[in-house]
Amino acid sequence: MSANQITVKLDHVTKRFREYTAVDDLSLNVRAGRVFGLLGPNGAGKTTTIRMIVNITVPDSGTVELFGKRINSELQDRIGYLPEERGLYKRMTVVDQLKFFADLKNVPTRVVYQRIDDWLARLKLSEWKHKRSRELSKGMQQKVQFISSVLHDPDLLILDEPFSGLDPVNVELLKDVVLDLKRAGKTIIFSTHLMEIAEKLCDDICLINRARKVLEGSLRQVKQGFGRNSVALRIEGEDGILSDSPLITNIEHHSDEMEVLLSLNADPQELLKQLIANGTKVTKFEMIEPSLNDIFIAKVSEVS
Amino acid sequence: MKKFLAVVKREYTQRVRTRMFIATTILLPVAMSLFVVVPALALTIDAGGPMRVVVVDGTGKVYQRLRRALSDDDTPVEQTDATTPDATGGFGNSQLKKAAQSSGEFVLESVALNGRPVSDAKSELDKRLRARSIDAYLLLPEDVMEGGQAQLVRSNAVDFLAVRRLQEGLRRSLREQRLVNAKVDEKTISALGQPVDLEITRVGTSGEERDSGGGFAFVFGIGLIMYLTTLLYGQVILGAVIEEKETRIAEILFSSVKPFTLMIGKLVGVSLVAITQLTIWGLAVAAFGLYGINVLAARGIPATLPRIPMVFYLYFVLFFLLGYYIYSTLYALVGSVVTTAQEGGQLAMPIIMLLVVGFYLFLPVGRSPDSSFAFWVSMVPFFAPVTMVVRIVTQTPPFWQIALSLLIGFGTVMLLTWIASRVYRIGMLMYGKRASIPEIIRWVRQS
Repeated sequence: MSANQITVKLDHVTKRFREYTAVDDLSLNVRAGRVFGLLGPNGAGKTTTIRMIVNITVPDSGTVELFGKRINSELQDRIGYLPEERGLYKRMTVVDQLKFFADLKNVPTRVVYQRIDDWLARLKLSEWKHKRSRELSKGMQQKVQFISSVLHDPDLLILDEPFSGLDPVNVELLKDVVLDLKRAGKTIIFSTHLMEIAEKLCDDICLINRARKVLEGSLRQVKQGFGRNSVALRIEGEDGILSDSPLITNIEHHSDEMEVLLSLNADPQELLKQLIANGTKVTKFEMIEPSLNDIFIAKVSEVS
Repeated sequence: MKKFLAVVKREYTQRVRTRMFIATTILLPVAMSLFVVVPALALTIDAGGPMRVVVVDGTGKVYQRLRRALSDDDTPVEQTDATTPDATGGFGNSQLKKAAQSSGEFVLESVALNGRPVSDAKSELDKRLRARSIDAYLLLPEDVMEGGQAQLVRSNAVDFLAVRRLQEGLRRSLREQRLVNAKVDEKTISALGQPVDLEITRVGTSGEERDSGGGFAFVFGIGLIMYLTTLLYGQVILGAVIEEKETRIAEILFSSVKPFTLMIGKLVGVSLVAITQLTIWGLAVAAFGLYGINVLAARGIPATLPRIPMVFYLYFVLFFLLGYYIYSTLYALVGSVVTTAQEGGQLAMPIIMLLVVGFYLFLPVGRSPDSSFAFWVSMVPFFAPVTMVVRIVTQTPPFWQIALSLLIGFGTVMLLTWIASRVYRIGMLMYGKRASIPEIIRWVRQS
């Protein structure tokens, strides 16, 4: 699969629930072999969008294409989906449930148990194989659910808030697995409102808010396009000069440094010159890229 | 197809393995054995001892016959006065023992009046009754043959079955004695008394058939089983659907399998569980039935199992499946629009009402299975599973009626499945609040 291939293509997709529009004229392309972040606040329409991609609901207008074909129930077998609202059969053992979910994806019986064992080992759940799922902790259940979404070796993996409720160790474990899958050429759609994780994992992002697309592109493009200009600064001595400077619009004090937001079109070099001219000792001067979190908050509050 | 089978298999294996299933499957036959085997055994145990009865025979002729009737002794009675008149005319215990003659269930004792007024005898015997040295006394006036009233005075502690046998014995004795008085000889009498071996044959529209002869209990039993299993397994479906909704598994499932396939797989899987259980119960019933008959036969009580033509079993299965699918699709529909089991219970009330009405229709239908009322209710798919089966058992209707009822039922199942699957598809993904009726109607209409 070449890097330019499109795995998922949404074309002017709209979905309404009576009076309320959940997804409004949304078009997007998810490129093969990339991690695509579908970001947005709660209620933005992420889950509805995903449900249309996995063929659980049908758009009112517009088309959804997967692997170059109109979505249909056969293509479902090539998708792995970990929904945000997820559960397990409480009284079934881990291995029985995984076998069941694999059957639903047409996994050949001769490979199924080997795959289950491999995945359980990988996610450190082997000793829980024959336990009923109600005996598992929430985090363990979540890992079982994750396994159920990858057992059939899908070409497209859709993870809706996969890390919620996991401890940091398991977050790292799962993140590594996701990156391995990416390396293996799988396409991953990743939906979250946790920007720190999205920033580390995603190649491309699409930000939606109130049913509409707000921002789209590779992470790099998005950050560059977001014209925010700030500097992380640590200085010793008088800082009165900063508050008087016309170059600066805002100062945020952190524990031992500060974040200085420059006014529009101001040259950071000018600020450094001024500081040195003033005799201030500069121990840290670093241009800060806007974090995805900043972009998210700015874009979402812009519309509100 | 593989997906469908996976759903069926999961529903079946998961349910058959539960303790609940194993317990109910085993417990019912055990409970039945308590109701069938224990009473059968209890019948063989005679706890109370014989009933002690004093007979004051004003005619002087009936006592011997009564004794014989109660002891099932078929030798003709000697035409002599066997009663020993009490010379002293008293009613003392020592005298009574001599006259007492045991006949199995009864210890009979004859007392002659010898011209004394009946009231004397009565007060004496009342005393003995209170002292519990006898259990009852029977007063036969002289004109008892000509329609005079006999009188039985008994204590509270008398076995009602014994009283009935006494009554029958007395009737038989009087009849025989009247025949003797009419100059009929003993041999003729005993020949006349020969019981009739009656085989009941019924002519229905489909020709002459053996009467299944089960009577009310059998009809009631069939109706009850149809009703209870439909209710039981409807509730199982309700629980299964709500579980998948509550635990949010539905969304994962819907990303792999069509909601329609999932719902049908569920219904089929649970129906196989039901059939498994019913088969086990059926075999247990048959086994206990045979056992019960053997026990009764051993005691000389003739009994037969109701004879049921093989085709009836096919009808039972078809109508059970019909009822099951009609009600379980309704339950699946309810399960998919509610959010909790409690809500499900409330919303399922109308379904249960429908089931209860259908069940109680077994009464009027069982009494007049050929009426037009019976015909119409057995065509209503919600009632057919009980009412048509009751009709088949009591007075088998023409085949076209059975076929029509099945056809209507089958059509209803298809329609309900179509509606339920549409509601299910959307309802399963709606969390948080219960859907309103207009919403549900909109979901059905939505493509």
